[in-house]
Amino acid sequence: MPENENELLGYADEEYKERYGFSDKTEYAYKTEKGLNEDIVREISKIKGEPDWMLEKRLTGYKVFKSKPVPTWGADLSGIDFDDVYYYLKPGGKKEDSWDKVPEDIKKTFDKLGIPEAERKFFAGAEIQYDSEVVYGHVRQELEKQGVIFTDTDSAIKKYPELVKKYFGTVIPPTDNKFAALNTAVFSGGSFIFVPKGVKVTMPLQAYFRINAEKAGQFERTLIIADEGADVTYIEGCLPADELVSRGDTFQRIDTIKKGDAVPTHTGRMQSVNRTFVHPHRGKLLEILPLSKGNGFKLTSEHPVLCIKRNKVIVKRQQRRNWKPEVSTTALLKANAEFVKAADLEEGDFIVYVAPTVISDDSQFDETALKILGLYLAEGSVSANRALRGIKMVSFSFGKSKKEGLLANELNSLIQEKGWKSSICRSKGGYYIVSSYAKELIRLCEDNCGRGAKTKLLSQKLMKLPPGKQKILLDYYWKGDGSVYIRFGKKLMRASTASRFLAYQIQEILARNGIFANLNVRKGSVDTILGRKIKRSDQYIIEYTEGKETGEVRRNGNRFYVPIKQIKTHYFDDLVYNFGVDKDESYLVKGFAVHNCTAPIYMSSSLHSAVVEIIVHKDAQVKYVTIQNWSRNVYNLVTQRAFAYENARMTWIDANIGSRVNMKYPSVYLKGRGASGEILSVAVAGENQIQDSGGKMLHLAPDTTSKIISKSVSKKNGVASYRGQLYIAKNAANVKSTVRCDALLLNKESKTNTYPYMDIQREDATITHEAAVGKIGEEQLFYLMSRGLTEEEALTTVVLGFLDPLTKALPMEYSVELKRLIKLDTTGSVA
Amino acid sequence: MILEVKDLHVPIDGKEIVGGVNLKVNQGEVHVIMGHNGSGKTTLAKTIMGYPKLKPTAGDILVDGQSILALTPDKRAKLGLFLGFQNPVEVEGVGFINFLHSAKEAVSTNVNTKELMADIRADAVGLKMVDNLIGRSLNQGFSGGEKKKAEVLQMGVLRPKIAILDEPDSGLDIDAVKVVAENINAFSKKYNIGLVIITHYSRILNYMDPQFVHVMANGKIVAEGGKEIIEKLEKEGYESFTKQ
Repeated sequence: MPENENELLGYADEEYKERYGFSDKTEYAYKTEKGLNEDIVREISKIKGEPDWMLEKRLTGYKVFKSKPVPTWGADLSGIDFDDVYYYLKPGGKKEDSWDKVPEDIKKTFDKLGIPEAERKFFAGAEIQYDSEVVYGHVRQELEKQGVIFTDTDSAIKKYPELVKKYFGTVIPPTDNKFAALNTAVFSGGSFIFVPKGVKVTMPLQAYFRINAEKAGQFERTLIIADEGADVTYIEGCLPADELVSRGDTFQRIDTIKKGDAVPTHTGRMQSVNRTFVHPHRGKLLEILPLSKGNGFKLTSEHPVLCIKRNKVIVKRQQRRNWKPEVSTTALLKANAEFVKAADLEEGDFIVYVAPTVISDDSQFDETALKILGLYLAEGSVSANRALRGIKMVSFSFGKSKKEGLLANELNSLIQEKGWKSSICRSKGGYYIVSSYAKELIRLCEDNCGRGAKTKLLSQKLMKLPPGKQKILLDYYWKGDGSVYIRFGKKLMRASTASRFLAYQIQEILARNGIFANLNVRKGSVDTILGRKIKRSDQYIIEYTEGKETGEVRRNGNRFYVPIKQIKTHYFDDLVYNFGVDKDESYLVKGFAVHNCTAPIYMSSSLHSAVVEIIVHKDAQVKYVTIQNWSRNVYNLVTQRAFAYENARMTWIDANIGSRVNMKYPSVYLKGRGASGEILSVAVAGENQIQDSGGKMLHLAPDTTSKIISKSVSKKNGVASYRGQLYIAKNAANVKSTVRCDALLLNKESKTNTYPYMDIQREDATITHEAAVGKIGEEQLFYLMSRGLTEEEALTTVVLGFLDPLTKALPMEYSVELKRLIKLDTTGSVA
Repeated sequence: MILEVKDLHVPIDGKEIVGGVNLKVNQGEVHVIMGHNGSGKTTLAKTIMGYPKLKPTAGDILVDGQSILALTPDKRAKLGLFLGFQNPVEVEGVGFINFLHSAKEAVSTNVNTKELMADIRADAVGLKMVDNLIGRSLNQGFSGGEKKKAEVLQMGVLRPKIAILDEPDSGLDIDAVKVVAENINAFSKKYNIGLVIITHYSRILNYMDPQFVHVMANGKIVAEGGKEIIEKLEKEGYESFTKQ
């Protein structure tokens, strides 16, 4: 067991390496050969246990794929080697990939995110598992009552064959293009949504299926059907969905943690916060209640928590009936704590309470001052005397017993020892009161301990004092507020406070002194006594037994291993918070170590070719949102199309930030009278990126309207192209159509192109088409910089401002996420 | 803070626009630079703030004795310099309030958002900015007068040590000139801001009390003194100074 601090840090590092420093070879439960042939298509269908009709569709897709050439009208696709792709992978239990294989730019992205190398390996591998069943599962419950089907496409084929058969491939037939054909042949995963007549789904349905290694596939297939009058929004996210929620780390609410704040990490040292995250989370949230229930905290199921699994440290003795297997203390103290996903925690496992090791002495706190402060914490308060025009005074109220009287007298002498004036008196009820107007005393108390009972809080200076000094403070606090019980010949120390934060602080100070105190909460209540309402606030009870390590808690240096008593599951629908921390990438939640958690999108394969088909029936509405942030080695060739019938409304919101080559033109076929379509498209083309995006509107019925708004940003040698098609059929009278595309160029080398294709068969159509190219003005940057923004910040501000009309159209949390991605993306783009 | 400009020469396209200007401004002082159009006032102001296209060929700009020529505009802002623009640029989609918040965070520590919002609101009322600023983009759709007021508002919120205000009065009606001048005075007193007011009308000076007046012509300071110079200008025009 390490004895000193340095050893301890080294020990923590070792453990860290062990956890993340793997470099295994890929091991898949199932993997087809590289390249594609008819046998592989049959094999995929067989593994999935599909019906014959689906196999037929796949085979048709394969034939079309083989017969069509690679399109040459757009971006250069010659870099795709179709024979070098695994078309179906079913990952097994082992992780994928070695760090060396990760492309250079991905490594840089990790750098920008400030993720340490060990952790990057973890995230770069296939272990980024998002259990989409959790999301699906929850939504299913909510929506099943309404008859909404929301599941993955593979399951839909088995469970709802009639529906799938009816619609699959009707919007985008395999013959449509080479990549749609390829998808038809080899697709795996994706979402299937059916919203019945008149049902309006108020919450956006979202899928993080892409992060899930199994369901992600490179060829997912999504099919959405909104029946008459239905309404649904679907968000396809590449977001890290695994953020933590908790209210305390060093006793500050996590949502108020700012970049630059210093926090203690699992090693006990202080590190600064280098980034903060906030995300919406809808689904399961776990509440971990350790032996010390007042330290309970909540987090999402993917969040890693520092832990020692119980089953690794049990004694090799037969289990007693109804008893949890007993733990061997020797084994426990030898065991290495590891970061384990919260979902994998079990009751009885040990989580790690870390006592911060930062020490900074301050000579203003001598023994006398600490004793006074201890008593102030317990009994004191500062108030303004109205009669004396608001002059402040500090008073300490003691009980009326003789013991209390002695303590009051001791305090009085302590104050006078410091050279300050004070007086002692007895109130009418016989209580001892010590009061003083000494400014230095008041300042000492207020600055270091706060004012009222609920808001008492120890200053950072006090929290960092050497443990020995803190003990003096605590001993006197105990004299005032605490009680001592003798139980089994040992002293049980107990104190209670209305200040929650103070309770955590006292616990921390005790921990620094080698004592783990239990923290429990006594809920507040309202009682009516003699007709008067008495309100009691929550009381936080701190207790420990002197000379005995509390129950099952074991101490290892500055760490305490505390068993989990209970794990509760909550349903949660709100924002969750998380932040990144320099070096250690961990922080303490109510004293317990958890790991920061973020999952950049990384795909080892270089081809992503999805198909999304949407059918919007009469009077129905569908909104489909994509935020695409694939890594820079991906060819993203996605076909997205919707059929909109009478008075239906289809909206595509399409944000493209990642990938090497992106070709994506969501389209709407306006097939019924009065149908309308809208496409909002954002593209950011960075170094070596080609963003070829836009949209297609086909007016096939009268009185249909459409709108395309496209905004693109190009920087370095990035190329952003708008490619749009507008078709108005002969029978489509009174069509209205607006197309607006704006481009912003950040450098001289960056490029933008506009390719509008129009085929108008009617005279009476109202069409507006506007296009504008802007360059970032030196004047603009100068103006922003003259106010203190750095060049990068100024640039980001201009870019975000330019994209604002589109980011505003996203649900709030997604616009926050998009802005964050764009910010990350503009860093380093200044020439 | 002391801002010193020493024998500064600045060309544009090979032509010397600022030709050997000397200027010394202490925090808390009020200076006025007067001169007709094209006399080099704006070029001087932008050079002090660090406009990248304006590169001095000789001379120096010092803050507390240290040259700031190598510093980018943001670093100069962080030192406590501020430039109120003659023509504030419009930035699409960037909220005025959000921008002010970022700027405040850039130049000072421990920004309390609530207090900042309250300050902005109070200052906007003081400046008689009628429309609600919330939800408006930075200078976009602002009238000429609003833009000028918004510059003064920014000064009041960012609280620099020395502010150069380039024609804070041009394009304002008589009432607005008074409001702007009074607010500049108030901010300067309250936050001890040294001022350099650049103008070619004496109108705004009816409401201000500058200790130092500099007259600029053809890129040089041709006369310096107290308020009496303004009267002379009023009577005799710039001609009387350039002839000397």
